[in-house]
Amino acid sequence: MCADTQVIRSSGAPLTLRKRLWNGVLPEALGLCFVLIVLGGFVAAYLIATAAWRQRAAEHAQLQAEALAQVVAATVGQLADEQDDDLAALLKELTAQASIRTLRWVTPDGAVRFEWPPQLGAAAAGADGLAVTAAVTSVATPAGEPAGTLRLEIRAAPHSSQATLPIWPWAIAAGVGLLAFMAVYARLRRHLRPVQAIERSLTAYAQGLEEELNALALSDSFGSVARGWNLLIEQLGDARRQLENVAGSDNADEVLARFEGSLFRRMLDQAPFGVMCLNVDRRVSYINSAAAVLLGRAPEAVLGRPFAESVDDPAVAQAVVGNTLRSAAERAVDYLRCTGETEVFLRLRPLPLAGQAGEGDTLVTVEDIGQLRADQRARDNFLYHVTHELRTPLTSIHAYAETLTRPGFDDEQTRKECYNVIISETRRLANLVDNILNVSQLEVGTARLDLGEVDLVRLMRQMVQDNLGAADDKHIDLTLTLPPKVPKIQGDKQRLSILLTNLIGNAVKYTPESGAVQVSLDVRADRVAIAVRDTGIGIAPDDQAHVFDKFYRANNDAVQKITGTGLGLAIAREVARLHGGDILLESEAGQGSTFTVELPLSATADYGEVVVK
Amino acid sequence: MSRVLIAEDDPHILRLISMWLQRRGYDVLEARNGLTARELMEAEPVDVLISDINMPGLDGLSLIESVLPHGYVQRGVIVLTNRWDHAEIGERLGSWGVHVLPKPFSPTRLSELVERLLRSDVAGPAQTPQAWE
Repeated sequence: MCADTQVIRSSGAPLTLRKRLWNGVLPEALGLCFVLIVLGGFVAAYLIATAAWRQRAAEHAQLQAEALAQVVAATVGQLADEQDDDLAALLKELTAQASIRTLRWVTPDGAVRFEWPPQLGAAAAGADGLAVTAAVTSVATPAGEPAGTLRLEIRAAPHSSQATLPIWPWAIAAGVGLLAFMAVYARLRRHLRPVQAIERSLTAYAQGLEEELNALALSDSFGSVARGWNLLIEQLGDARRQLENVAGSDNADEVLARFEGSLFRRMLDQAPFGVMCLNVDRRVSYINSAAAVLLGRAPEAVLGRPFAESVDDPAVAQAVVGNTLRSAAERAVDYLRCTGETEVFLRLRPLPLAGQAGEGDTLVTVEDIGQLRADQRARDNFLYHVTHELRTPLTSIHAYAETLTRPGFDDEQTRKECYNVIISETRRLANLVDNILNVSQLEVGTARLDLGEVDLVRLMRQMVQDNLGAADDKHIDLTLTLPPKVPKIQGDKQRLSILLTNLIGNAVKYTPESGAVQVSLDVRADRVAIAVRDTGIGIAPDDQAHVFDKFYRANNDAVQKITGTGLGLAIAREVARLHGGDILLESEAGQGSTFTVELPLSATADYGEVVVK
Repeated sequence: MSRVLIAEDDPHILRLISMWLQRRGYDVLEARNGLTARELMEAEPVDVLISDINMPGLDGLSLIESVLPHGYVQRGVIVLTNRWDHAEIGERLGSWGVHVLPKPFSPTRLSELVERLLRSDVAGPAQTPQAWE
């Protein structure tokens, strides 16, 4: 099995021997044949080359013999008139020197004039085992008369007639070629393995062994093919399952319902809520993308796997699987999934599926309840603060009222003190209830502005007037500064008065004795700015970010000494924002604060100006 | 004369308790926050501590936990609370043998409780946590 490509699932049924042979031995046999052909080719090439080599050597020897014969014939012609003995001696020497093997001179009358070696007929051509080359040429006397024919044979050089080519370069070439072939073959085989696996699968599938359809692992070289193949198998499986479902149902309505089911499935796939389905073995048979995201799992990682692998907490898995028999209200299982630093609050709700087809199946919905929990916490927090704030004046009222009923506390001064506390605490309680109602209305967005023309000058004068008593008690200089002309604005008079009284009341409350509170109004191009400046205790930078939060009160003695609900500024800002404006804060601890309310002047507003007298 | 310390940030309630206990003849000390209360007890131990829970600076629970081991309170501790989570207070302070009085409370009942704690036959608060009964 090769390293980077392997068959993941082992085959279901064993292959037959024939198929095994076919699949395993045939490629090797083909390879061996190829090797033999290559080797045969080398041998043939060697033989052909040797033959050509010999041919060329023979031609060379022939030319040599003919040239030599002409030279000898010319010499013999010159010596035709000489004595036979002298001629014989001369020719003997010549034959010895020119490597002539045989030489025969036949005169025109057919007589042998010279023959070497003597009794030439006895020395058969090639008797010494060497190839001979013969040449025949005519001899002429110096006078030009024909003097017969001359036949001579020369010894072919051993390398030119009988020699073979050296075999070792050919053997080396053949070896290198073979090695190269084996390398190529090995690589080819590796690449062909997936093809063989696919081929095996297909053969088996064709014979009805569906489990033989094996998925391929993805490899670098064969990844795209493997991916395509795996997808094909998956689609085939889906199609088969659908077919089985359709085939398994009894009637046409059921079949129709199945087809509609595919539409529902697409809808579920893209639904914004998490849904998954478990089969009777508690394995995941369906999961939509929302559920996969919420559970932090890839769909393919959980499909077909036990549900327990879909969640990190075994107790949650157990509860979901075990809760299906309980009543609907008790089924919900809350699951806190932690991934690194983030926490996801989920609520899983198993629902047994009724009906013939889905008997034993369980639908599990997956909800993100993070926001729900946050809202619950905010509500609990709000209630906690509200009850705490309500109990404080109630405690005073209760305790002082009880005091009035007791003997020993019936002196005039004590009774007066008790009545005063009860009255002021009752007012505080009423104010608190108003504020809570206001803030909750503003909070849930049910507050509707009762819009009308608001005379800011009159409103501001009234609010300052209302706070003069409290300011005088602390010898605070409360002043109002207005420009000569002020446009009327569109707004909710009731709520704007709450806004102003909260700001001015706070300024007076948090300013020590003999301080100053200045209320002023500034008309700008597109808005009015109402500033409330005090010389009070100021707000530390850390607290500035929170002063507009509900029930927030700075955790320092100077603030805590003064009773307050922590709702005034939250309400003031909501009112300003409802009017399309906002509140800005500038403050320094110990140096006082300035709250500036900006309210827009609408473009179509009636600029019925008020002349300040 | 028995010394009673009241730690309470609401001026009306502080004044009321003080008034009731003074009329019963106790030496009453007042503190508007936990830190002041602890300083007073460090200067001189008290017989009874009456403490609110929500107070600026040092809250009531921390105040009680920080003074009991030193024996700064000799006869008993009464916790006034307007928190709805009495269970948590019980868990944190129950082992010290403190008394929890939810708000709104009856000043008559509070005075009687103080009186009972000051009687010699009632055991004082534990200086180490005891098993919660």
